[in-house]
Amino acid sequence: MPYLLKGLLMTIRLALVSEACILAFGLIVALLRISRIRIFRAAAAVYIDVIRGMPLILQIVIIYFGLGHLGIGLSKFAAGVLALTICYAAYEAEIFRAGILSIHKGQMEAARSLGMGYFKAMRYIILPQAIRRVIPPLSNEFIALLKDTSLVSVIALSEVFQRGRELMGTKANVTPLVGVAICYLIVTIPLMRLVQRTEKWLSRGD
Amino acid sequence: MIKIVGLRKKFGHHEVLKDIDLEVKPSEVLVVVGPSGSGKSTLLRCINGLEHATEGQIFIEGTDITDSKVDINQIRQKVGMVFQSFNLFPHLTALRNITLAPIKVKKMDPDEASEKALKLLEKVGLKDKANAYPAHLSGGQQQRVAIARALAMDPDVMLFDEVTSALDPELVKEVLDTMKDLAREGMTMIVVTHEMGFAKEVGDRLIFMDDGEIVEEGLPETVFTRPKHPRTKEFFSKILSHI
Repeated sequence: MPYLLKGLLMTIRLALVSEACILAFGLIVALLRISRIRIFRAAAAVYIDVIRGMPLILQIVIIYFGLGHLGIGLSKFAAGVLALTICYAAYEAEIFRAGILSIHKGQMEAARSLGMGYFKAMRYIILPQAIRRVIPPLSNEFIALLKDTSLVSVIALSEVFQRGRELMGTKANVTPLVGVAICYLIVTIPLMRLVQRTEKWLSRGD
Repeated sequence: MIKIVGLRKKFGHHEVLKDIDLEVKPSEVLVVVGPSGSGKSTLLRCINGLEHATEGQIFIEGTDITDSKVDINQIRQKVGMVFQSFNLFPHLTALRNITLAPIKVKKMDPDEASEKALKLLEKVGLKDKANAYPAHLSGGQQQRVAIARALAMDPDVMLFDEVTSALDPELVKEVLDTMKDLAREGMTMIVVTHEMGFAKEVGDRLIFMDDGEIVEEGLPETVFTRPKHPRTKEFFSKILSHI
């Protein structure tokens, strides 16, 4: 079991580090997607479509082995973070975009009419409101991300699923996988409850 | 103070403003009336650059804001705007709604900004609501905070876009009273409104717009009682018969 728990810690580390990168990158992609400059909009749209149209596992393999071929040797952890970030940022960018567009245009107009530039208005008026609205969907994405870190086992990163499979090989039975399942559930179930509560808490003002 | 020359605004093929010429002097209260869709709001929105003029020039204190080299954010600090739908920032308290732009745009010291905001709240009769969020204020209170928010930037002219139209009838007076005080202090104001009593009492001059044109212009009292143009006659006969 301690062997699996160490794997779970790796899983959580991978998910947390990736999530931090995803939020930052996803927000940037969302802002490009709604930019007034057409080339930015187009580039963001292509990125989102291409990434969402491919399996994550393929992206992980391409990034780890592909970059390796090009002489950019990344550690398995770094490759995992990079692949998860590139993939999930495409989804979360769409969530951010929907959140931003859901804010009434009068808010931007009021901010601009006070002399704030576009970026100041975004930063102080639009984003604080939009982010509140997207917390529930982003939390669900985080839970999905946490489970999808298991796909990084394809490049043999020693996270909990990978360790479970190794144990399964040495012990020649499937009980380690039950342990793996429990590892995921002790994290995901409390998270799901937390999301439900936040949803209720956030909607109380509406 | 404000001079508009040959202003045209098109949305696609639809011409909303057709060759508008207008001048507003310092401390003047100009009232703009007309049926909906006549271009009144678009005119206001052109004056602070929320809409771009298709043709013509708009001079604010001598600066042509239709010139693309002009920093519109600088101009907007001089032109306060109050909206029909208030547009207070719901995630900020009344006080923060007022202090945000002075702090972030004018780089005012936060304590100084708060002090000023409290004075403005007192002026609009809402000093005790400084820490309330917009959701906990009535429409009339929200609109008065919105007026205070615009005043915090020390504008030279204030634009009011049907600011009482979204209010319950019993809340209209408190907002109009605030605007009257402002006019009395000598603020230059352009007021799009359907409140004819206010227009008559506070307005120095009235323009009647219809179909993107200024149809008639004069003292509010004169235009109400002796409209010259048939379209003005028709409009006032429809609304004044109910007063």
